[in-house]
Amino acid sequence: MGVLEIKQLYKRFGHHEVLKGLDMDVPEHSIFGFVGQNGAGKTTTMKIILGLLKPDSGSVTVCGEKVTYGESKTNRYIGFLPDVPEFYGYMNPMEYLKLCGEITGLTKAQIKSKSEELLELVGLKDQKKKIGGFSRGMKQRLGIAQALLNDPKLLICDEPTSALDPIGRKEILDILYAAKGKTTIVFSTHILSDVEKICDRIAVLHEGKLALCGTLSEIKQRHRLHGFILEFESEKEASCFESAEDLKQPSIRLSRNGSTVKVLLPDGDMDGYFLLGLLSQKRIVPLKFAVMEPTLESLFLEVVR
Amino acid sequence: MKGYMAFLKKEFFEYTKTYKLFIMLMVFAVFGITNPLIAKLIPEILGSLITDGVIITLPEPTAYDAWTQFFKNATQMGLIVMVILFSGVLSSELSKGTLINLLTKGLSRTAVILSKFTCMALVWTMSIALCFVLTYGYTVYLFPKDETTNLLFSVFCLWLFGLFLLAALLFSAALTRSNYGCLLIIGFIVVICMIMNIIPALHRYNPISLSTNNMGLIMNSIEVSSLYGTIMISCLLSLIFVSLSVVVFQKKQL
Repeated sequence: MGVLEIKQLYKRFGHHEVLKGLDMDVPEHSIFGFVGQNGAGKTTTMKIILGLLKPDSGSVTVCGEKVTYGESKTNRYIGFLPDVPEFYGYMNPMEYLKLCGEITGLTKAQIKSKSEELLELVGLKDQKKKIGGFSRGMKQRLGIAQALLNDPKLLICDEPTSALDPIGRKEILDILYAAKGKTTIVFSTHILSDVEKICDRIAVLHEGKLALCGTLSEIKQRHRLHGFILEFESEKEASCFESAEDLKQPSIRLSRNGSTVKVLLPDGDMDGYFLLGLLSQKRIVPLKFAVMEPTLESLFLEVVR
Repeated sequence: MKGYMAFLKKEFFEYTKTYKLFIMLMVFAVFGITNPLIAKLIPEILGSLITDGVIITLPEPTAYDAWTQFFKNATQMGLIVMVILFSGVLSSELSKGTLINLLTKGLSRTAVILSKFTCMALVWTMSIALCFVLTYGYTVYLFPKDETTNLLFSVFCLWLFGLFLLAALLFSAALTRSNYGCLLIIGFIVVICMIMNIIPALHRYNPISLSTNNMGLIMNSIEVSSLYGTIMISCLLSLIFVSLSVVVFQKKQL
């Protein structure tokens, strides 16, 4: 059973239908990348999970408990980092974490040790400044600290890396990656390189439904192009390989660029062995023989097109 | 309950840090000091303006004049300052999104509303008490001979009216997202009360009587018992407003 299960979720704002039967299942201890264009409904989905918005129909279950809108008891399992975390500007980080700790019902000693540990983790340990004077990146980091305060089983981050500089982004990703062992992380983003860096599962939200869902390797496997890249020592060898009789079939697409040949085989029984056989027949040893991996970007574009 | 206490502490901390408590106390302290002084000095100020040929006879100022000032300032300026100061009680948190973090930490929405009401009531109580103590001290000092009746009861009525206003304010805040909307609704509620006050039969049940009969009580021209119904109604309405705020806020999409 997953930490988070979403079944047939529908939500509309006026005439605009944002979610049209969303189904999602997040297994424990995964980093789940929730990808979609701007306005695809990522934030809406998260707010429904947190009980801040009321779904039109469908159900959300967190750790086996159903989420109810308004008075959401399931929130005790969840840590949430909003896209633009806002705090009380007149407090300093320690005071803010103390307030959060008191609300979740930690003891004084727990609050103190936990706050110090988390502020150390996010690099705000010696920050006595009021939150009002914090930069965006610092607020984001404090946001992560407050989200992790109650040892959540599920950490939900809404675009934690957008609008941060490259260093800030890397730091946030590192912190999330470090939290992986302790909790399950769902994080939404439209920066695909971030997803590839730390996520083990992804889901692409498009037109109110999941267009793509699974582990990264699974998805890439499923969408493998049967494409190969062969690099030869010389252009002569390349053209020799290219002119092989067996490759002159209409279903095989060939393209040569200097001494590199790209081959796209049709789906079916033709695979790499066929090309390897050809090579040995022609007695050519390529410098490089590689399977073309689909990139997340190409997959994403394919899905949302 | 723990959420309520934690949030109440935060609210109070916020009022001190954002100077709202300070402003309230200052305004009411200034009223408290000036009420008896103005009562004492007005005849002299007017007297100094009198030129030859005009004779105005002014009665000797009494403690009643000081308390007239008290009830006039506190009900007009004081309550207006309070309503404006507290009009952002929910909207500021909603528009900035500071509440989201805490709600997703498991803070219940009921606790938010109740602790906000408690804290506003606390600030109001402190302010009116400060104003009362200062006015009382100066009045006894400046007009030692004059005696008043039902003074505490009269101030209690005013305090209760403030509480009623705060409950209505909270309800207005829960209904809208901006503090202008909140001010609009609370203004509307007060205007309705005032319009209802035109009908004499409704006087007994109109919360606004709590703020208009104070001098009558002190001068013993109004019976204490005549306000019991109003007190009941005001308590009941305040309770209804607070409960409605909870219900409305529960349903609010954030």
